[in-house]
Amino acid sequence: MKINTYHFGEVEFTEDKIIIFNSGLLGFENLKKFLFIKQDDSYFFWLNSIEDPDICFPLFSIRMLDDKFPQVENYEAFGITTLNSDPLNITVNLKAPVYINQNDKLGYQKIIDTDKYPVHYKLFSE
Amino acid sequence: MLVLTRKINEEIKIGPDISIKILSISENQIKIGIEAPQSVQILRGEVFEKVKESTLEASRASTQKADDLLKYKIHKIE
Repeated sequence: MKINTYHFGEVEFTEDKIIIFNSGLLGFENLKKFLFIKQDDSYFFWLNSIEDPDICFPLFSIRMLDDKFPQVENYEAFGITTLNSDPLNITVNLKAPVYINQNDKLGYQKIIDTDKYPVHYKLFSE
Repeated sequence: MLVLTRKINEEIKIGPDISIKILSISENQIKIGIEAPQSVQILRGEVFEKVKESTLEASRASTQKADDLLKYKIHKIE
């Protein structure tokens, strides 16, 4: 299968690479199938929709920020990242992490309703 | 929208597994107790809306380029 993506051009993949989000993501409940892409030279991972290839979310691995963050067995927690041309304004959503199981190819988003984890967490400092 | 009138300690059932109980009422606050299966996510509406808005924003900003990220420190959670 092939899709045309903004960030990666034409991407070819096989069915077993698809991560299924049965409930979609908040605001994108209709999108269930994503490719999970890691670039070698980037801090970010990418979740690219297969059904709507223009939709793409940068992700940041939350364990690089906090080793006490709520963990789920066999899943890794990522924060959806809002990019900005000024790195000091790049934020990571820690309130609604995306959990991905790369072995079973499953993912879901969960809201952690405490004040400890903000929606817009500033990722970088000088 | 379905509108029901309830008194303190009265319940509303939604399907077989979810019940909502009015616990107390003060001038401008109502305390509500909710029982539901673990798989049902219960959220205050404004939290849901804020997260949704942030996801839409992240999608729109995903094409932004930021150079020289290596110059910056990752801001860890204390």
